Amino acid sequence: MVGPEDAGACSGRNPKLLPVPAPEPVGQDGKIIRATGGFGGGVGAVEPPEEEEEEEEAEEETPPRQLLQRYLAAAGGQLEPGLFYCPLSAGQAHALPPSAAPRSGACKLGSASKHRSAEVAADGRALRHGGMTNGDSGFLLDQDCRDLEEARGLPRAGGREPRGRRPCGRLCLERPGDGGADCAGSPSDWAAPLEDPLRSCCLAAAGAESQEGAGSDSGGSSASGGSSEDLEHPVAGAGGPEEGALPAASAERTSGGAGAESLLGFSNVHLNSRNTFEVSRSQSVGDHLPPPALPQPLPAAEQGTVAASARARRSGGFAEFFARNLFPKRTKELKSVAHSAPGWKLFGKVPPRENLQRTSKIIQQEYEARTGRTCKPPLQSSRRKNFEFEPLSTTALILEDRPSNLPAKSVEEALRHRQEYDEMVAEAKKREIKEAHKRKKIMKERFKQEENIASAMVIWINEILPNWEVMRSTRRVRELWWQGLPPSVRGKVWSLAVGNELNITPELYEIFLSRAKERWKSFSETSSENDTEGVSVADREASLELIKLDISRTFPSLYIFQKGGPYHDVLHSILGAYTCYRPDVGYVQGMSFIAAVLILNLEEADAFIAFANLLNKPCQLAFFRVDHSMMLKYFATFEVFFEENLSKLFLHFKSYSLTPDIYLIDWIFTLYSKSLPLDLACRVWDVFCRDGEEFLFRTGLGILRLYEDILLQMDFIHIAQFLTKLPEDITSEKLFSCIAAIQMQNSTKKWTQVFASVMKDIKEGDKNNSPALKS
Amino acid sequence: MGNRTEEDYNFVFKVVLIGESGVGKTNLLSRFTRNEFNHDSRTTIGVEFSTRTVMLGTAAVKAQIWDTAGLERYRAITSAYYRGAVGALLVFDLTKHQTYAVVERWLKELYDHAEATIIVMLVGNKSDLSQAREVPTEEARMFAENNGLLFLETSALDSTNVELAFETVLKEIFAKVSKQRQNSTRTGAITLGSGQAGQELGPGEKRACCISL
Repeated sequence: MVGPEDAGACSGRNPKLLPVPAPEPVGQDGKIIRATGGFGGGVGAVEPPEEEEEEEEAEEETPPRQLLQRYLAAAGGQLEPGLFYCPLSAGQAHALPPSAAPRSGACKLGSASKHRSAEVAADGRALRHGGMTNGDSGFLLDQDCRDLEEARGLPRAGGREPRGRRPCGRLCLERPGDGGADCAGSPSDWAAPLEDPLRSCCLAAAGAESQEGAGSDSGGSSASGGSSEDLEHPVAGAGGPEEGALPAASAERTSGGAGAESLLGFSNVHLNSRNTFEVSRSQSVGDHLPPPALPQPLPAAEQGTVAASARARRSGGFAEFFARNLFPKRTKELKSVAHSAPGWKLFGKVPPRENLQRTSKIIQQEYEARTGRTCKPPLQSSRRKNFEFEPLSTTALILEDRPSNLPAKSVEEALRHRQEYDEMVAEAKKREIKEAHKRKKIMKERFKQEENIASAMVIWINEILPNWEVMRSTRRVRELWWQGLPPSVRGKVWSLAVGNELNITPELYEIFLSRAKERWKSFSETSSENDTEGVSVADREASLELIKLDISRTFPSLYIFQKGGPYHDVLHSILGAYTCYRPDVGYVQGMSFIAAVLILNLEEADAFIAFANLLNKPCQLAFFRVDHSMMLKYFATFEVFFEENLSKLFLHFKSYSLTPDIYLIDWIFTLYSKSLPLDLACRVWDVFCRDGEEFLFRTGLGILRLYEDILLQMDFIHIAQFLTKLPEDITSEKLFSCIAAIQMQNSTKKWTQVFASVMKDIKEGDKNNSPALKS
Repeated sequence: MGNRTEEDYNFVFKVVLIGESGVGKTNLLSRFTRNEFNHDSRTTIGVEFSTRTVMLGTAAVKAQIWDTAGLERYRAITSAYYRGAVGALLVFDLTKHQTYAVVERWLKELYDHAEATIIVMLVGNKSDLSQAREVPTEEARMFAENNGLLFLETSALDSTNVELAFETVLKEIFAKVSKQRQNSTRTGAITLGSGQAGQELGPGEKRACCISL
């Protein structure tokens, strides 16, 4: 299965109602990462005062690390070369479930990377609130590191690629004195300042490795997959006429193709651009995304930036960045790095190009030089060393002798305490092992997914999109389509699939937009009168008011459509322009969700075009006009297939007179974007674009099928409650396998035929399956 | 009045939440059923559901609350949801006069589709924003009195009167039902819905598994 939806299972959901699942790597990362203000200058610029803090943090965390070490030792020394535990700050540690605290492979957010932690935090917040958890977690540092390590670690641990134990763990690179195991267990505070350069090295190493491994190494190849995806994206972007070829994009394009050579070059691109953009990124991201503690609209001072960005966006390329980075481009951390480069460049701070031609060798040299300069030489102070072998945590207190003013422990008691302590440690070890296995499995799946996405993207860009009309209905493309569209081509494919029957041009959009703006202006001038009872006027007013109201209630957890958020104005514009374009339809609740999803994947004008055309489809028109009789026909047709596919559940629902309108209205009006996690909703949209309205109802049946067993146990109100608020942990694999199992054939009749016959039946006026709507 | 376990109840009362979009219906509901308030709640499309069981004297009453979308356009759909409702909270935002001005229309719609005996409470929500008040308490109270409605001002944000509002409505319904029950046992003329006693509620019960008044 393609698509990182898994990791994003909780996206788009209400953060407050959403417990962050402990073992879920992404959610966790989103949660633990601390927001430290956006400061810091470039790589390796270590702030001395921070180091102290770091050390303290490290101390606090010593016991878990020790546990980990023990565990690692116990686990037969199957250390992944890059695996080491890095302490989290106190704040981070708090947020962590205790069992997850000593996470192997977790990376230190060191002082040197503080500047990045701001963006990470911002990102993390977004992640936690759902929506953006495409499994890539964007620039999540923590995630980054782990991925990279896994990338290299996995094949080794799995024994698939028994390459010599190259000291390619990043710590090892820098400290040749440390063996792999030592490296893994050693205190990492000294490593923290190295964090960034080391990572760069990892990247380089990964690139180099994939060159050697030529794809046989899963880690290496997935890294290369990432690279090629990254490379490909700008190509895709440049395909659209609207994306003025950014220098960076074109530079990347020159190194394009998925060849091994370019991979190497590519990793350079990554780390160079990364290094170069650090300052601007950290600042800008900090500005753009409110810190987790303040889920409020941005402070006034910062709104300027947002406004500026909105402007920039409208004028062109910026949307590319934001659309890609904030939402759909999340598939790969590596990628987000690449994309951010051109994006941030638009802020005019950094010229990305100068760095692009460096080789990894140079980078490494540079990094070594820099680390030699900036990194404190081995920080294994004696103080720390002592702690390494002494239990520090409260659980270990039982091993201590009692204070002298109290009677000493008896031998048995001491023994018992020792035993209890050992048990606890053993327990913790067991947990660790289990967790590690689980994590490994998840990572493995994810890498596979991401590989698939990367290779699918190449196919989409190089083969399918250039020959769209010919290819679109071929079996191969349809199958690939079913797997989920790579986020980078998603918008493009949606646009093509939805089409533009209405022949709307960007100019036309501008016209309607300016009309809408005039109307808002005149509206705000006359808004003093409240009780306009004239229906049309009142409705129009209500419509404008309602748009305003609804925008902030659209994916509230993403914080990008709310007032002050980067896409607030865009969403407002599109909905406003639509009410001017189609006054007969106007604004209907539910539209804001559809427009929002489109905005997340397309440029403003393209989003509008897709929006208007999408709403012009018969099913959407019926619903958004709230055309009862048509809606009834859809429900009746749905019930035919419901009965056919899930007869038991159908009867169960019938026995409670639970009609489909109860749950379908929400699902269809928002095209599942409100009910399903956002990533999953996008996948539903993918196939909806392929198969049309039929797929919306098929998805509904898939959901019912997925939860059939539970639903059969429920009574009316619980079913209604359940279906109007679906579980947040719904995964794409499960749902899509259920959808696939739904047959949209009713005794040789297809959806459209059944629909036609239902139309006839209802016209004859004898059948009505949805009494709820007979009002 | 305490909470009981979800499934242990004697009565089910269907209560609908109606009123303009954005007045805070969903938050009133979440405050009552889960004691939660969400600053960034999502637009309700169609209808959402929640339940809470409260004790009225010795009887456990399960409130089955239908939280409907406020949009005018959806009324045609959601009006169907009124059927079988024995209680309604007609909510307006006391900081937005417009949401109060249309209360009468909502009321008419409610009576068009629900039983005439339905217990209705007019609820002025967002009382925490008193500095932005646009609807005087007395005005709303007068309107409620003239129309035979209960009236309360609430704040889902700071919890003021939320419990009281729901419980008052449930009590009223309960009183009415008890009275009716006595009558019906005497005359046998009035048929009660299947939701007479919770334990007897079988799977055969109908969608509005509530007492009919």
